[in-house]
Amino acid sequence: MKNWFVLLLSFMAALILFFVLTIFYEQSTPQKLELDTPIPIVLKSRMVEPMEFWDVVHRGIYEAAKEYGIDVKISGPLYEKEIDQQIEIVEAILNEHPPLLVLSATDYVKLVSTVEKADKMGIPVITIDSGVDSDIPVSFIATDNIAAGEKAGLELLRLLENKENPKIAIVSHIKEAASAIDREAGVRKALAGENIVGTWYCDVEEDRAYEITKELIDTYDLDGIVALNEVSSLGVARAVDEYQVKDALVVVAFDNAIRELAFLESGVIKATVVQRPYNMGYMTVKIAVDYLKGEDVPDFLDTQSVLITQENMFQREYQELLYPFSNAE
Amino acid sequence: MRNSLRFGTLGSRIYSFFILFIFGTIIILQLVAFQFTISTVQNTTIESNKTLLGQLTRQIESYIEDMEHLSLAVIEAEEVQTYLRGEAPAPLPVYTKLIQKQLGTYLKAREDIKNIYFSDMVGNILSADASVEINQYADVLNSQWFTSAVDNPSETILSGSYVQNLITEDYSWVTSISRGIVSLDTGTLLGVLLVDLKFDGIKELCQSMVTGRKGYNFIIDDQGVYVFHPTQQLVYSGVKDEPLDEILESIHSGEDNTYSDGEKYYFINDSETTGWHMVSVLYEDDIITDWQYVQISFAAIGLILFLVVGLVTNRITRSITSPVKKLQKIMKSVDEGEFHLVGEIHATDEIKELAHDYDIMVTRIRELMHENVKEQELKRKSDLKALQAQINPHFLYNTLDSIIWMAEMKQHREVVLMTSALSKLMRISISKGREIIPIKDEVAHVESYLTIEEMRYKGKYDSEILIDPELYEEMTLKITLQPLVENAIYHGIKESDHKGLIQIIGTREKDTIVLKVIDNGNGMTPEKVKMLNSPYTVYEDDQPWVNLRGMGVRNVHERIQLYFGEEYGLHCESLLGVGTTITVRIPVRGGVR
Repeated sequence: MKNWFVLLLSFMAALILFFVLTIFYEQSTPQKLELDTPIPIVLKSRMVEPMEFWDVVHRGIYEAAKEYGIDVKISGPLYEKEIDQQIEIVEAILNEHPPLLVLSATDYVKLVSTVEKADKMGIPVITIDSGVDSDIPVSFIATDNIAAGEKAGLELLRLLENKENPKIAIVSHIKEAASAIDREAGVRKALAGENIVGTWYCDVEEDRAYEITKELIDTYDLDGIVALNEVSSLGVARAVDEYQVKDALVVVAFDNAIRELAFLESGVIKATVVQRPYNMGYMTVKIAVDYLKGEDVPDFLDTQSVLITQENMFQREYQELLYPFSNAE
Repeated sequence: MRNSLRFGTLGSRIYSFFILFIFGTIIILQLVAFQFTISTVQNTTIESNKTLLGQLTRQIESYIEDMEHLSLAVIEAEEVQTYLRGEAPAPLPVYTKLIQKQLGTYLKAREDIKNIYFSDMVGNILSADASVEINQYADVLNSQWFTSAVDNPSETILSGSYVQNLITEDYSWVTSISRGIVSLDTGTLLGVLLVDLKFDGIKELCQSMVTGRKGYNFIIDDQGVYVFHPTQQLVYSGVKDEPLDEILESIHSGEDNTYSDGEKYYFINDSETTGWHMVSVLYEDDIITDWQYVQISFAAIGLILFLVVGLVTNRITRSITSPVKKLQKIMKSVDEGEFHLVGEIHATDEIKELAHDYDIMVTRIRELMHENVKEQELKRKSDLKALQAQINPHFLYNTLDSIIWMAEMKQHREVVLMTSALSKLMRISISKGREIIPIKDEVAHVESYLTIEEMRYKGKYDSEILIDPELYEEMTLKITLQPLVENAIYHGIKESDHKGLIQIIGTREKDTIVLKVIDNGNGMTPEKVKMLNSPYTVYEDDQPWVNLRGMGVRNVHERIQLYFGEEYGLHCESLLGVGTTITVRIPVRGGVR
């Protein structure tokens, strides 16, 4: 009996030793987030052109995922307008009980119930670029689109300062999208008191924007156009270039597609407001990791926007922003 | 069991001390080993990282040097010189095609060259790749590659990485080499050659030669401007920050080209040819990636080590303590008056010696005790002998008085009788010093005594001796009966007012001789009888009844027991007012078989 007792004591002491050592080594090793499943990221569209906005977002996401040692799984509907399909995708993902969901909402309102469902299931949601009309998401990482719109509006105002009572039109991409709503609000805030003839929606189709612009040029004697995203900018610029009215009609655009930059160089587009998609993707993963580690995360993180003109488009610090390295993948 | 768990025992002390000691030792050893492992891995990783960085630098250098040689070949090409001098034979497009074809071979041979251009002094561009359209908005004359080459016509100018906008809608990342094209004849500056290298080559080199999951390389020039950084956007927008000041300081001081901010290591390698500084970043937590494995194996080693040492300690402890405990148990028997020997014991030499010495000691004690008992016996025997040899002086002078008185009365016959009785009494008393005498002598002795006493107390009592004649030759202790008879007379009959009778009866019961002295005197109280028969009664001199009665009787009893053993001796029966019977039991043939 005595032997048994001593053996037990030794074994207990050994276990204590084991735990002491384990705890010590645990403390002397870096804290890492270990996830069994990849973090699902549902974006607005799977149609991603190389070097375009979402492609660069992807790169930021992958860079951060590599740095923080986690896996991510990016999905989304084929086109941005397929709202119901995005809802389906998100609900399918929710059924797999992921640790966290990153979402870029195709619709500011329609995705609310889906986000509420995630909340009920105890799955935290982080929204990126386009949020939803709800307080549920733990963090929202996006460009402050009101500020970006304001930047575009003020630049337009500066460019038109010699014109008297200039006529201005806004070409937006989609009526319900939060980014469109905010950018327009920002533009209108900057252009308060100016003659804004109206806002037109191209439904994220370049040709539609092109047609709208041609019609606008024909109908109104316009002095300025603000195009609120890449697709609308390209449509607007194409029309202005074709009509050869670049000296009479000031175009302030959004985003930095290669063709937009060519239009910027040739002066069709006078200025463009560029977001930082790389930072957006990177910061989204960083915040997701921070949140899963139990750290505080900001409710809203503005990844900023930059106003690019002919003068600064080849400056060193904006070069990679405008012309991302091509072979990231 | 209960004892062994108390901290006071040797076993638990040794054990707990050892456990504590081993516990501490293992922890210290483990920590040292752990630290050592870490620093070893760290140093190895750092060294290999430095080697890798050296390779990266050499590869980039040799790459750039290759391109320099190429550019030198181009600027001295006859066709280029002719073209730039404006002496090209008409038609010009044909000559241009010729040049483009010539330069195109370089493009085909070297995948990593994006394009080769040359420009005349007013900024007209000729591209080696005929398929591209020159961007009309590109500002050649203010481009850095152009101005630098014009300022230093005899030097090769290496640019950092930048976006080339010379081709319409093709914004490619390039590193370019430019060089002034000097006329071989006149030495005047004719134009500038520009070789655009695909930046991907350098980028891939930088991205492939990294250490760890998070490690990366970047390149800066002398002013701390990034030539390449894998996450330039994060750096330029301030999300990430590189300690450029410290790195530049380290470069300019020319000392140890390593900088660490605690979380990351920066290894810096300077490239003479390019003027660039390759910086390799290694994350501290990338150095050992299999932490979990290292951790668990270290903890497991600790556990096993502890268990093994613990068990061995337990063994050793028990091999020390269990013989001690056995020894202790045997020694405890002394408390109970027993002296056990330890005998053979399985233990260490010290314990064995201790046990052996203990055995010697116990044996010695046993001997001493035995001797002591014998000595005591001897002493008592001699004491008793001395006592028995004494003839009561009262009796002697009373007898002598009687003789004198009878002599005066001229009662010769009585004098002779008494004197001869006394003489006989004394002779048998002495018996030549023997202790054991035949019963017949003993009877003769008591007869003599009775004769004397009867003459002294005439008519006071009668006596009869009824001894089985077969017993006459049996041996008895001398002076056995006389004290009993004396006792009967003085304490029984003398106080009685009726005429007394003393009977001495001798019979044999198997191997025991039974002698009885019976009187019909006063008798004794039951208490006294009990006292007399009790083997443990201690007689003390100040108790008057001892003197009065029993001293002689008691002596007889003790002497018989001393000589013949405990089962023999006296037994007294008495009734107050009726009489007393004292029975003597001794062995046949003196106990000798």
